[in-house]
Amino acid sequence: MTETALREGGEEPAVGARWQRAAARGKVRGTTKYVADLPVPPCAQVAVYRSTRPHARILAVDVTQAAALPGVQAVVTGQDLFALLGERLLTGPAFADQPALAYDRVRYVGEPVAAVLARDLATARAAVDLIAVEYEDLEPVYDVETALKGEFFVHDVLRPSSVFGDLSHLRGKRDTNVCYEYNLRTGDVDAVPTDGVTTVSGEFWSPPVAHVPIELPCTTAWVEDDRLEILTTTQTPSYVRQAVADLLDLPLNKVRVRTSVLGGSFGSKMYDRLEPLAAALAWSQQTAVRLVATREEAFLLTTRHGAGVTSSMSADADGNIVAATADVAYDTGAFADVGPRITAKSGMVAAGPYRVENAWIRSRCIYTNKPSAGPFRGFGVPQVTWSHESLVDELARELGEDPAEFRRRHLLREGDEAPMGTVMHSADFVGCLDAVTDEIGWTTPYEKGEGRWRRGRGVAVGMKAVLTPTIANAVIQLNQDGSATLMISTVDMGQGSDTIMPQIVAEVLHLDEGSVRVVAADTDTTPYDTITAGSRSTYHTGNAVRAAAEKMRDKLVDLAAQRLGVAASDCKVTSGGVMSTTAQETVSISDLMHGHFGARGTTLTAEANFTTSWQPYDHETGRSRQVTEHWFAGAVAVEILVDTMTGRVKVEQLAVAGDVGRAINPTLVEQQLTGAAIMGIGHALFDELVFDQGQIVNGTLLDYQLPSVRDVPAKLTAHVIESAHRTGPFGAKGVGETGILAIAPAIANAVRDAVGVRITRLPLSPERVLEAMTEAGVS
Amino acid sequence: MPVLHQPRDLDEACTLLAELDDPMVYGGGTAIQILLKQGLLFAENLVDLSFVPGLTAIEATATGIRVGAMTPLRRMETDAQVAGVVPLAAATYGHVANPRVRNTASVGGNIAHGDYRLDPPTALLALDAQVELRSAHGQRRVPVRDFFVDFQLTAVEHGELITAIEIPAQPAGSASSYVKLSSLGENDWPSASAAALLVTEAGRRTLRLGIGALAPIPQFVSVDVSGHDLETTVEAAKAAADPLIDPIPDVRGSVTYKRRLGLVAVEDAVRRAWKDQDDD
Ligand SMILES: Cc1cc2nc3c(=O)[nH]c(=O)nc-3n(C[C@H](O)[C@H](O)[C@H](O)COP(=O)(O)OP(=O)(O)OC[C@H]3O[C@@H](n4cnc5c(N)ncnc54)[C@H](O)[C@@H]3O)c2cc1C
Repeated sequence: MTETALREGGEEPAVGARWQRAAARGKVRGTTKYVADLPVPPCAQVAVYRSTRPHARILAVDVTQAAALPGVQAVVTGQDLFALLGERLLTGPAFADQPALAYDRVRYVGEPVAAVLARDLATARAAVDLIAVEYEDLEPVYDVETALKGEFFVHDVLRPSSVFGDLSHLRGKRDTNVCYEYNLRTGDVDAVPTDGVTTVSGEFWSPPVAHVPIELPCTTAWVEDDRLEILTTTQTPSYVRQAVADLLDLPLNKVRVRTSVLGGSFGSKMYDRLEPLAAALAWSQQTAVRLVATREEAFLLTTRHGAGVTSSMSADADGNIVAATADVAYDTGAFADVGPRITAKSGMVAAGPYRVENAWIRSRCIYTNKPSAGPFRGFGVPQVTWSHESLVDELARELGEDPAEFRRRHLLREGDEAPMGTVMHSADFVGCLDAVTDEIGWTTPYEKGEGRWRRGRGVAVGMKAVLTPTIANAVIQLNQDGSATLMISTVDMGQGSDTIMPQIVAEVLHLDEGSVRVVAADTDTTPYDTITAGSRSTYHTGNAVRAAAEKMRDKLVDLAAQRLGVAASDCKVTSGGVMSTTAQETVSISDLMHGHFGARGTTLTAEANFTTSWQPYDHETGRSRQVTEHWFAGAVAVEILVDTMTGRVKVEQLAVAGDVGRAINPTLVEQQLTGAAIMGIGHALFDELVFDQGQIVNGTLLDYQLPSVRDVPAKLTAHVIESAHRTGPFGAKGVGETGILAIAPAIANAVRDAVGVRITRLPLSPERVLEAMTEAGVS
Repeated sequence: MPVLHQPRDLDEACTLLAELDDPMVYGGGTAIQILLKQGLLFAENLVDLSFVPGLTAIEATATGIRVGAMTPLRRMETDAQVAGVVPLAAATYGHVANPRVRNTASVGGNIAHGDYRLDPPTALLALDAQVELRSAHGQRRVPVRDFFVDFQLTAVEHGELITAIEIPAQPAGSASSYVKLSSLGENDWPSASAAALLVTEAGRRTLRLGIGALAPIPQFVSVDVSGHDLETTVEAAKAAADPLIDPIPDVRGSVTYKRRLGLVAVEDAVRRAWKDQDDD
């Protein structure tokens, strides 16, 4: 249901229009100013000494030689900062477990231990090479299996940081590597009769992967009078302000965090990255400092959680899915970061988007001595989708049913209760599945082939909850000339928020394309917003923007009613201004405001808040009647070829669909689905951070693989499904992650179809495919 | 930061290389820049050849072509003369990295880089190219088949630079093909590669194979396939290649996998060359 009908007077609606992406021209021409391009005061350049040990006590840090190097302004160690800040040095969105610089113990190879401030980067780096650290090695915990044995601990004590509403239930812990555990008990999986029941099970693994946005993280911090200014590449300016204020014990109005459009991020520039260190250095030294991560350092800053899922799915004799179990282990590395949130919110959908009466899920977030894992497009859901979409496919095959048809029969529909107890709304899984299977001609016969190349088709469905509860705010300033300025703390990192938020304002106020400008996030002027992540902005910030625009509309109507001497109910905003039917007159915004204020250049302001609420998980069962504000639903279908001589998988065609409620800008929605699909192809076929004894082996772009244009399928189509959300702005929801959820299992299912092997470990590298074929005796 | 020198002629370049501390020739810089950025390069002086005249010429010689060391790889791929005289070389150069790298990287820098996975050496080996080197002491020529000495080590000596590569023309009636197999991204470095050149001369049929990425240095082998049909040629090629394969395991594959991939590359290259000959 799309209303693309023209509005009164032949005016084209702003919502649903394919407005050109804001700043597209500047990005193509290279004139857009990213964070690193913006002017800052003269700065000390900072280089960081990083731990060479996965797990060790720091016995001594000798900085004498480094400090003596000409050009070095200061060398700061973790001990120095700890002496100054005490335990406030530890920050983090869930647990306060990340020190800006390690002071007593290092927990991964690459952890910052000391920082050199110098007049230039070369000097700073040279000085870093002169730092000598004496360690006493501790027993390293490289993987979740070892971590779960509980013999050695990555952290002795855990203290919740109490920043976010959805994590307010975290409790302090000690002597465990499991920082969070979520359990779902729906029905009773053990009571399911085994007669005539078919069960499939597997051990699934998704490796850690890196985000690799083109723009590298960059943070500059300086002291201005008695306050701290931070200009940084972040998706979470409001969080950074709070974290830094806590770190330095400053009132919020003495910390200013600014950002600019980001050159990609995918979750890598969130929460505590370079900011706590930059802030601590600038404040303790009372100077300006600049930190820019090198490409190699960026690999150490955060990763996607490697995750193991041991799971099963059962169907009765009639083919009903009667039980699903999943034991999920997220490897969060040295710090919890946002792992606990991922563990609950993503673990909870591990049974899949199906009607399942009995479900058992245990989802754990586990520390190891590796670089910290954090948010990554999909927030942990692709890892569990890898499990449930492989299982359901195998189950269908076991039962001799068509994998798409089998899913279609069991997919959750509007009004159904999902396994964790929340009722579904605006999540058209079936519509998504239909769109992608139609596109690739699922029901038309095809030759698998008998020669070297074998053809196969696969399908998969993805389900994700939006982060709840969260908070968004918007302030609109309408200018006397009829243009508008929008103040939100949503950060445009390529997803297009600077384009669609203006479309929402323009829709309500009947403004033209280009007349609304978004102010770059600046905590001095733009209001609090939980995070720009988890595909939440279109719905949440969009709702705040819409509400603010409606308040502005009411103000204009009141002004017009006053001026024309008519009832407010007689006035309405149109593209020409405010129109009164009785007075048969339309007053333009600029006349209206000029008349009201008696001056040109005046402004009118309106603001609104949008906050969501939830019902926390039941302590015993993990269930909740309102676990999320809304759902993301997506589906993927592919046709692939497998080279039986090399094991290489070639994706020939890919169709991806997402239910976005309502597309505010269909072009941007298609681009999000497409971009996510391409990123997902990388995760399916070759993206992988390889570790050896806790150390990243391929942490450079010489060895780390990302999809290039040559990995993109010859045919790649994005399908926009619109099942309007009753409280979405114009029915809309987000889409940034929807397209990535089901890519890997769709491709694996197609490999299964083509050559008959079920592979449960990602990525599906040629070697792994060939090995599986050899093992299964397929040639 | 190393110092950049920009000599205006070959003699000046050679003098700089002879006299500077830790000098390094700077060609297109595509490899050097990465090494610099990663802190893996400790050269104090870079001698940039961009302003030395005459190093970007592609000239016909009595036996084939002579390519100046600073010729961009992209030109090797697109130049009509190269495609006409040594089609195998043109095809192989077209497989290097991506157009951006090919536009910047130089023919001399490419082989001097010495990476065992480089594409062009496979073709140059099959074609029996000669490398022209020059230093303050004079000039010498090294067959490309002797050029790759050990892992990341070439015949270029201290104070020397490459001035050109001479490639003999592909014999009339020959057929060739280059196959590059990557194991991760499609556009990645090869995990196995093979250049096959089928030559018929004086009634004898020879298969010349250059193979890359499968041992610490690129490998060459020549097989007499007179009287063979396609299938026996494939078998002979694989049998000849097999002992030369000594893969280095890494994130792109194990020894076993790369060995297997290597034989596929050889087979594919031979089959395509065979087809190339049938099409002519
Ligand atoms: C992203 C990327 C992907 C790549 N993928 C591939 C690939 O798939 N296949 C492949 O074959 N290659 C690949 N390469 C490598 C590429 O071919 C080399 O970087 C390039 O050929 C080097 O040439 P250059 O002129 O830039 O050399 P430079 O970087 O200038 O120099 C490289 C080395 O050669 C020396 N040198 C340069 N010129 C001379 C000379 N005239 N005489 C003596 N010594 C000299 C330098 O001192 C240095 O040691 C890739 C490179 C990049 C950056």
